[in-house]
Amino acid sequence: MINLGKKFAQKLKGGEIFLLQGELGSGKTIFTKGLAQGLGIKKVITSPTFVLFKVYKAKTPGIKQLIHADCYRLKKGQEILVAGLDEYLGRDDTVVVVEWGEKLIEYLQNDFIPLYFKVEADKRIITVK
Amino acid sequence: MIMIIKNKLLILGIETSCDETAAAVIEIRNSRFAVRSDVVLSQVNIHRKFGGVVPEVAARQHLENILPVVDRALSQAKVKIEKVDRIAVTRGPGLITSLMVGVETAKALSYIHGIPLVGINHLEGHILVNQLAVSSWRLAVSNFPALCLIVSGGHTELVLVKKIGKYQKIGQTLDDAAGECFDKVAKILGLGYPGGPIISTKAKNGNASKFNLPRPMLDRPDFDFSFSGLKTSVLYYIQKNGRPRGKRINDFCASVQQAIIDVLIDKTIRAAQQYKVKTVMMGGGVAANFELRKQLGERLAEDLPNTKYQIPNTKYCSDNAVMIAVAGYYSQAKKDGWQNIKVDPNWEIGEYESTRA
Repeated sequence: MINLGKKFAQKLKGGEIFLLQGELGSGKTIFTKGLAQGLGIKKVITSPTFVLFKVYKAKTPGIKQLIHADCYRLKKGQEILVAGLDEYLGRDDTVVVVEWGEKLIEYLQNDFIPLYFKVEADKRIITVK
Repeated sequence: MIMIIKNKLLILGIETSCDETAAAVIEIRNSRFAVRSDVVLSQVNIHRKFGGVVPEVAARQHLENILPVVDRALSQAKVKIEKVDRIAVTRGPGLITSLMVGVETAKALSYIHGIPLVGINHLEGHILVNQLAVSSWRLAVSNFPALCLIVSGGHTELVLVKKIGKYQKIGQTLDDAAGECFDKVAKILGLGYPGGPIISTKAKNGNASKFNLPRPMLDRPDFDFSFSGLKTSVLYYIQKNGRPRGKRINDFCASVQQAIIDVLIDKTIRAAQQYKVKTVMMGGGVAANFELRKQLGERLAEDLPNTKYQIPNTKYCSDNAVMIAVAGYYSQAKKDGWQNIKVDPNWEIGEYESTRA
């Protein structure tokens, strides 16, 4: 899962917004860890559930920061936008990853890429549409 | 570390790094601390009302609450703002917009009233709140080096306290914090919010050895933690067997709680042995957990009988401004330092001289 995230990172251009959707334990955070590694981020990526989102400096020519957000605690996705996430959306030098991102869909003006995570026995399945 | 030679010092602490809006006034007289007021506006009651989710975002609540909370802290302490000698405010780590509310308010107060201001690391607050019990600075010196386990919903770290102001992070969670694990497991089990206290209460009537749950990372020699594996173990079990009912839910809660506690205690004891510390401390919301407090004390008495055990009163474990004010006492504050105080949401403890603005 980490390697998948890393590979994903190679394809990024900047400005992407990923909405990760899937149950607890389906691999959303691990995937994000891999993505961060692929962007040259050395810092340990920990769960942003309590703090709502964290900003990491990326070390690639085009992408300067990774925002790791989490709507798990929120009733309405809009709340995380008001909490400051909106500042980072649509910036060419920034990639945004939102866990429990389905809560954000109706409030987002920007284009986004949904990723669906599923647990099946001991496998994790990611679907990109 | 600068000691202010003054008869009486009044410090106003402000904390808005995540959910709570908090302000407190402490007094230091003859090296002893006295808590004059401790005001915390918690979002827990809002969470409960809306079934475990935050209806209004953290930052907006801070904006509405900060001035009334500061006012209440001053009036409960029977202190006028003009008499405050120092203001201490959390400037990181945390959520940027939440932090900004506290910091900008503190800067304004500092500027308007000419009160020296110091920016505090939230985790340092959790560590130094333990000084409340110790209070004399002579004793403080003999307590170090110390090891502090900071464990909450947002943080799980082991910090070596070489002396007040000199910190080194020696271990942390690689994914979920321990408090977060409690909350998410509670959700999987269909229990309410906040998960930690509910699991802890049910665990009192449960048998911790009834369910076999993993103790992640125990076999690794380092001092890092990982709790997401425990979360997924619980998830798999429930998916396969359904939620435990009746007495079994108590046993399950006891087993989960013990799995978390075993990992926390084992790593803490090993770290204490390796770094030959004089004191073991705790801080953070999970440090209020009755079993954790009891069992860590017991293990210490057994394995490290010459090591002191220092834990805060349960009311100072979760986020509060008293701890920020206490940390503010040990910091150097300049009168016009308010201009240089910047929010730092990623501020790591020990990253640079934490008690210097």
